[in-house]
Amino acid sequence: MAQTINTEVTRTDAPRKVTGAAHYAADFTPAGMLHGALVTSRIAVGTLTGIDISKAEAEPGVVAVFTHETLPDYKTVKGFYAGGPGSASFWPMEGTEIKYAGQPVAYVVAETAAAARRGAQLVEPTYEEGEANIAMDPSDSFIVGAGEDSKGMTVTKGDVSAGLSEAAQSVDVEYVTPFQHHNPMEMFAATAEWRGDRLTVWMPSQSVRTLRHGISRAYGLPETSVRVVSPFVGGAFGSKAGITPYTMLTIAAAKAVGAPVRLIVTRPQMYTVATFRPESVQKFRIGADASGKLTAFEHIEIAQTSQFDEVVNPGTHMTRAMYASPNIHTEQRLSRSDTNTGGFMRAPNEMQTFFGLESAMDELALKLAMDPVELRRVNDAQTHPVAEVPFSSRSLMECYDAAAASFGWADRNPEVGGMTDGDWLVGYGCATATYPTNISPSAARVRMQGTGHAFIELAAHDVGTGSYTIFAQIAAARLGLPVSACDVVMGEAHLPLAPISGGSTTAASAGSAVHLACLNLAAQVAREVSQMSDGPLSGVDPERITLEDGVLRGPDGQSQPLLEALAATPRGEATAEGEYRHPALTDQALKLTYQGGYGVAGPVTPEMAMFAFGAEFAEVRIHRWTHEIRVPRLHGAFAAGTWLNRKTAHSQLMGGMVWGIGSALHEVTEIDHARARFLNANIAEYLVPVNADVREVRVEMLEEQDDYVNPLGVKGIGELGIVGTAAAIGNAIHHATGKRLRKLPLRMSDLV
Amino acid sequence: MDNFAYFRPGSLSEAIDQASAEGRDILAGGTTMVDLMKLDVQRPDGLVDITGLPELEGYEIGADRLRFGALARMAEVGDDADLAAACPALTESLWKAASPQLRHAARLGGNVLQRTRCPYFRDTAYVQCNKREPGSGCAALDGGVTSLHAILGGSEACVAMYPGDWAQALIAFDAEVKTQGPGGTRTIPIADLHLRPGDTPEIETILEKGEIITAIEIPVIGAMRASHYLKARDRESYAFANVSAAVGLEMEGDTVSDARIGLGGVASVPWRASAAEDVLRGKTFSEDLAREAGRVAFAEATPLEHSAYKIPLGADVVAGALMTAHARAKGEN
Repeated sequence: MAQTINTEVTRTDAPRKVTGAAHYAADFTPAGMLHGALVTSRIAVGTLTGIDISKAEAEPGVVAVFTHETLPDYKTVKGFYAGGPGSASFWPMEGTEIKYAGQPVAYVVAETAAAARRGAQLVEPTYEEGEANIAMDPSDSFIVGAGEDSKGMTVTKGDVSAGLSEAAQSVDVEYVTPFQHHNPMEMFAATAEWRGDRLTVWMPSQSVRTLRHGISRAYGLPETSVRVVSPFVGGAFGSKAGITPYTMLTIAAAKAVGAPVRLIVTRPQMYTVATFRPESVQKFRIGADASGKLTAFEHIEIAQTSQFDEVVNPGTHMTRAMYASPNIHTEQRLSRSDTNTGGFMRAPNEMQTFFGLESAMDELALKLAMDPVELRRVNDAQTHPVAEVPFSSRSLMECYDAAAASFGWADRNPEVGGMTDGDWLVGYGCATATYPTNISPSAARVRMQGTGHAFIELAAHDVGTGSYTIFAQIAAARLGLPVSACDVVMGEAHLPLAPISGGSTTAASAGSAVHLACLNLAAQVAREVSQMSDGPLSGVDPERITLEDGVLRGPDGQSQPLLEALAATPRGEATAEGEYRHPALTDQALKLTYQGGYGVAGPVTPEMAMFAFGAEFAEVRIHRWTHEIRVPRLHGAFAAGTWLNRKTAHSQLMGGMVWGIGSALHEVTEIDHARARFLNANIAEYLVPVNADVREVRVEMLEEQDDYVNPLGVKGIGELGIVGTAAAIGNAIHHATGKRLRKLPLRMSDLV
Repeated sequence: MDNFAYFRPGSLSEAIDQASAEGRDILAGGTTMVDLMKLDVQRPDGLVDITGLPELEGYEIGADRLRFGALARMAEVGDDADLAAACPALTESLWKAASPQLRHAARLGGNVLQRTRCPYFRDTAYVQCNKREPGSGCAALDGGVTSLHAILGGSEACVAMYPGDWAQALIAFDAEVKTQGPGGTRTIPIADLHLRPGDTPEIETILEKGEIITAIEIPVIGAMRASHYLKARDRESYAFANVSAAVGLEMEGDTVSDARIGLGGVASVPWRASAAEDVLRGKTFSEDLAREAGRVAFAEATPLEHSAYKIPLGADVVAGALMTAHARAKGEN
């Protein structure tokens, strides 16, 4: 049997995707379906004083126009940051209050998508406009939580001021990161069909169970009456995790018109009807003695939040895990402004906090006249600096050494401005990447047939990451089948529990469930064959039969391939379930997950701290005349436990680094302060890297064994690659030019 | 998008007749028009599709004159090796524009009429836009974001920036726009085609209703051969210019005998930097002289709140472009 784990396997769903055979949620068209369109608010804050729908209603093809007064049976759910499944706590179209620009104010249903959009343009709302601020004022912030233990939002250990006064060198610096939007290729979409009291929702989702749980409770229906379908997702990155108003409005509209309705949200509306990465300020005070050892570490994060939610994605939890220091203070603060509620976007706090941390470390290294890599080495924490538990595995410096060697870091001229090539200034920079290992409870069902096929079923999602492939690989490895014989069924809420596809959780958590389901299936087959009158395992104590690479082995050298054993049983097939629960997972987190929430063990358990690590090195070139910033080389080395699929993992890490180039140089949701609106809400003006911006991106994947994180030894990697890229590029810009840019994105306008 | 009538004329005169009616616009590649219709910014009752008129196709790279039919595609002309040798700034301006897909769709006549990317013009959620709704005000000047707006040629009514690349190269080399309309044919110097916003930013060109660009012609001059189009932008490709410069130099020994400078990304219309050209003519070329020309090119600029960076950046881009053009004149590049 060929090795199927820690090898390169091409995506099993690739042929379906490139031939169009893969049906995404919006590809399902129930009979008699109508089309929805949203009307969104021009103003940011105020009151809807009237809404004239007469022109829209008169438009040919328009079936109905719903407003806050006319949409019956519209239900809402509690927001995520208030412990519910919703993307925000405030729900539009429940009244006349306007709390953010682009808030839905009406919903048009028509016979065609074009008529619906046209009808939406003809709706005429009138407003009484109030004063609004879209950007936060960092000087007007409030502290979130407080506590002594590692889970507390605010942590103090020792005395940072004393540590700073002992320091030979210190930095006291502030970094700023902007609003950003996910911009998945696949638009937000929802199709709802009622048949009596039974509801089907087709929607691209990172959590079909969250959707079903929330919708069924909102409507007082049993979960058996609600079907949620999301077989493929064309990019999510955090934007398709919660239940948003566009979904609940579509469900209500379908009920009201008595026909299925599909809504495809327009690209500009995608900027306001769901979440985004909030803007932030990252403040660091870090001191070190002459040898570079930290004497003090302080990180205060101020992040933007809406007027009605407290978006806490605590980035200080990650930064304080990085470097050893006797004196530590970290603080999470929020500042409110008039937007919809932000949320998760790929590495939802690590992107911005590590831009700050790793730039600050570079500034400190320069002050100490130290190689930035060596500064990380002398401070490489062997135990978690706050929780004081060991890391389950930590290969940060191995990553630095591998990436530095591949990059040619030793050959650099460390002098600022010391490297040029024709009209280009050249600079090198590096930064740490990390991502917490979050382990959710997860379940899976495996049915294996004596014909040599297996079905693996679980309510997980392939958000483009390769989940279909890796679950097939895990099953193939355990059951002794080729990957192509393992058919993975996902993306429906009635399947066994899998976690929200967020926080780089799925491979480690749901993968472990698939693994356990296969072991349970093998045990079942072992029991059956041990009771049969003949066969190599006949009469063997089934408790002593083990599964090894698809072969059942008895205690005395007896063996039989699992498939052969299964074929010999009277049924010729077997079904088993497996549920994985990390020993450190609390009952509360287990319950939360089964209720559609995000319950995890980690990254810090009472025994261990679980993180994946990496190191990224960037070469930048800045043109002498145009001041354009380009990144000809980006090298990263990563260690994240077992690599399940070296090809899809490589793509995840490389994709993260490419996105990191975007975060560093391109991405920003521009804001119009005067009207409190996002200004560039389209992918022509919201810049992301194009092919020409991405030159050499090299990914090295180190071997790392971790027996604590889960039975497969897997750490999540979906978000690891983006962390640190912006700092590595910013540090390289400083090396090239002597200019320290502390506000993302880093632009040519900052260099003239 | 509104419903509209679609016309496909069989001849240029029929096209002129059809396009002369009120509420109708001319459709060529459609890369601006259809975009703005989808955004509800342009709402014509009818579109007259001129892409079926063969007399508007094709282009010629002559020894004395370049001629580009209005329907020649950006991609085909941008790929022409003879043009690249005759006037590299022209092919570079096409190559650095838009994306390959857009360059295959867009036509050269329509390209010079491409409309501003001002976000307040393109998003109808902003009530104020004098260009879209005359008299409604200017959101950019009323506390808006002005990092991509004009620092040359704007007015109190409008600071929208002309976005293209090709027209900047055309204006540097005194291109002529050939038109045919209800009043007959005429030849318009490209410098006269576009109107600065003044009090009427909604009127962007001197073209009359029904008047169709048939061709663009350029008399060949010495400064074309040693020319260069330099475009500075945050993204390597598929981005509008923060600043661009189309320059050409003709040298007699070390002395500049002719200099041409068109500016992009900074002005309300395609912009000729005549004063900067005068700095160069008759002088011995040097890096210092190139930098002086760059400074002079922006001497009259009025920075807006978020666009002050364009003045030093623009000066450097002009100087850098001149350095390349000079190297080309010397046969070094």
